[in-house]
Amino acid sequence: MSPEPLLNVEVLVKRFGGFRALDGVSFHLHPGEVLGLVGPNGSGKTTCINVICGLYAPDGGEVVFDGRSIAGEKSHRLVKAGINRTFQSPRPFLSLTVRENVEVAAHYGDPKPGFDIDALLALLELDRYSQRPAAELNSAQQKTLDLARAMATEPRLLLVDELAAGLNPAELSRMADRLRALADGGMALLVVEHLMGFIDKVTDRVVVMAAGREFFGGTLADATRDPEVIRVFLGGGHHG
Amino acid sequence: MPDTAAEARRRLIRRVVLDTSIAAAVVIFMGVVRGFYSNELMLFNFVVFLALAQGLNIIYGFTGYLPFGYVGFYGAGAYGFSLVVMHLHVPALLGMAAAAGAALVLAVILLPLLRLSGAYFAIASMAAAQAVYEVVANPDLEDITKGPYGVSLSDVFAPAFSYYVALAILAFALLLVVWLRNSRFGMSLQAIRDDSVSAAMAGVSVVRGRTIAWLLSALVAGLVGGVFAWHISVFYPDTAFDLSVSIFATVFLLFGGATTLSGPLLGVFILYGIYNVIGIAVPQYFQFTYGALIVLLVLFLPNGLVSLLTRRGIRVP
Amino acid sequence: MLIGAIIAGIVFGLYYTLVGLGLNLVFGVMRIVNLAHGDFLMLGGIAAWWLFSSFGLHPLWSAVLVIVVFVLAGLPIYYLVVPRLLRSRDSEMLSLILFFGVSQMIEAVTTIGLGATERSLPPRLLGVGPMILFGTRLPKAWIFSAAASAIAVLLVYLYLYRTRLGTLTRAVMVSRDEALATGIDVNFVSAVAFGISIALAGVAGVFAPFILGSITPNMGVAINITAFAVIVVGTLGNPLGTLLGGIIYGVSLMLMQTYLSSWANLLPNLLLIAVLLVRPEGLLGRTVRRA
Repeated sequence: MSPEPLLNVEVLVKRFGGFRALDGVSFHLHPGEVLGLVGPNGSGKTTCINVICGLYAPDGGEVVFDGRSIAGEKSHRLVKAGINRTFQSPRPFLSLTVRENVEVAAHYGDPKPGFDIDALLALLELDRYSQRPAAELNSAQQKTLDLARAMATEPRLLLVDELAAGLNPAELSRMADRLRALADGGMALLVVEHLMGFIDKVTDRVVVMAAGREFFGGTLADATRDPEVIRVFLGGGHHG
Repeated sequence: MPDTAAEARRRLIRRVVLDTSIAAAVVIFMGVVRGFYSNELMLFNFVVFLALAQGLNIIYGFTGYLPFGYVGFYGAGAYGFSLVVMHLHVPALLGMAAAAGAALVLAVILLPLLRLSGAYFAIASMAAAQAVYEVVANPDLEDITKGPYGVSLSDVFAPAFSYYVALAILAFALLLVVWLRNSRFGMSLQAIRDDSVSAAMAGVSVVRGRTIAWLLSALVAGLVGGVFAWHISVFYPDTAFDLSVSIFATVFLLFGGATTLSGPLLGVFILYGIYNVIGIAVPQYFQFTYGALIVLLVLFLPNGLVSLLTRRGIRVP
Repeated sequence: MLIGAIIAGIVFGLYYTLVGLGLNLVFGVMRIVNLAHGDFLMLGGIAAWWLFSSFGLHPLWSAVLVIVVFVLAGLPIYYLVVPRLLRSRDSEMLSLILFFGVSQMIEAVTTIGLGATERSLPPRLLGVGPMILFGTRLPKAWIFSAAASAIAVLLVYLYLYRTRLGTLTRAVMVSRDEALATGIDVNFVSAVAFGISIALAGVAGVFAPFILGSITPNMGVAINITAFAVIVVGTLGNPLGTLLGGIIYGVSLMLMQTYLSSWANLLPNLLLIAVLLVRPEGLLGRTVRRA
């Protein structure tokens, strides 16, 4: 693992009207590392991803990727710089076929020619549906398609937003293996998740968030023993 | 079935050949039939709507934006042509360039409208077209645009040549749609239409895509408006900015099915055909039928005739 | 002259508040753009004309009749069309197209039945001679319709904030799904709102001959743009906003007609575009409509 973090989030602030979704959250991520982002509902995990991937511009703080400040840059440019994500509810291009879904990403998100779309589809077990409209896939398959599109842009940082929801145990296990394989290949992953079993399989360490800020960093095992973490998860998410 | 790149390429070539053949067949047909049918104005109007429906297809079928005020570009084209021919006495083909220019300028001015969401965009574009009409038809501007009294272009009257120019414009519009149907750029537009956030995360510049589609769509309408002015050579601002033009084009497009090449073609041939056979005598009966058709379409077949096939996964050209 | 234009503008603008109020309600409750709104207005005007020329019924009575009939008619229209519409993916856009179709149908039937000529009502029905308000001479009819409009705004406000059905309506306006989850009969609430909305349009139509001069079957389109401009200026979903929007529109129109009269027709169009681009959430705003 290289000494310099690939991603550095510093004191990030995001407001929606009067509500502070992110209240000064900070963490970092190295290449090849899988960081779990956990916390109760409303703690700001998805907002974090939304800011990092360029969907929102932050109101304060810094997002530094590969030594460069990227806060406020547009999503499609960040994709070309090496950041991508999946979505909580799948967001496929319903009127395109499965293959075309990936083709768009491979063509626009990754300037290197000759990306093997079919090999990727085979790897993710979607090759059978290659010519079918994406609308015909079930929810779990559409989530995998989201992942395929993200992977087709060959990101160095992948933000995974609650991929586990709705997957059966076999699918969960396969998905966890895939993510670990990506990390072993040098990708940095930020995994937002509620399912602790999935976090346990996939991540190297976790950051626990509540009310827009992080307050615990360490291994999952340590987190489950920490009294503050327990209080936040059982006591409704209010801190202090 | 597992797919190789070679198979994908072969499939693409087959589709392009099929689509282009259909486009060619339509253009040739509209050219040949002129020799057999005496009501030349009706044929010209057919060509106009065939082209306009495709122009609208470019923006609605590929980005999901429906400009109710599409006729604004048509009118801008008509007046761009007319003003340049009337005041600068240039040959008609240069007038066509002015028509294209006028429509593109208007499209650039209206680019900020693309920030609005669906319904707002539709109504705002209608207001924009109305505004352009109010300016052009204003008696204060009579010296320039002839105001509400209409335009008369005797110098460039050329019914035969202008008809063939209209065919060329139709060919251009059809080929644009063939290109969008079979290119990655067209695919990226459909991606933007399906989910713009997801498209951005696939590396697609949403703003750039929408802008290009908008400009191309305006260009088609502007050219059609210009050739309309050329062909008919006497018209009032009410005709050039008649909302019915947008409405007809929209109904034809929706009836046939947007995003395909053949959908708008079907829509125009069937509906405009019926209109010319029975509708001209009592336009209100037709207006009622159109209205009812729109209601039924939206409720039961919102993606048009071709959706009867496409919802089974069959690709329609 | 300036003060006069402003006073006239406020009074005239209140009429446009009435025009926009129903459209605003429908959008707030169902996120649907009723592009046939102007045509329901036209129907109200035609009804008033027909009731007067056939039975000598005074327009104020016609207005009451129109309210009752339109509210009752609105319910089946809603149930026939809207629930199915809301289930589709792009309901906002589709509603636009669908109600446009409805508008064409209404226009066609009216033109077939009554011809395309203008209809009007004798202005003396709403009082003879002008009234002097703050030093400005205004037709009594304008005062009447401004008063009717103010009453309508008040009634809608009272409905939304003081009746049980109105409170449920506000809940649906905030979130349709959550209202459904708490057991509210969302469709019934919406149907009533729809009925009220076209009734408001109808009443505005009854006053139209006095304010706008005449009724023609195809007046709906221009009315729609104006109504839309009014509600967007004043913020969608907020009835008080429509009050503000109408007044602003009325004053602007009067000023334009006084100083730049041949360009006055440009106003609703430019106003609408300007507001949508500069401050789409309107002057009181919350709901933003960004793509």
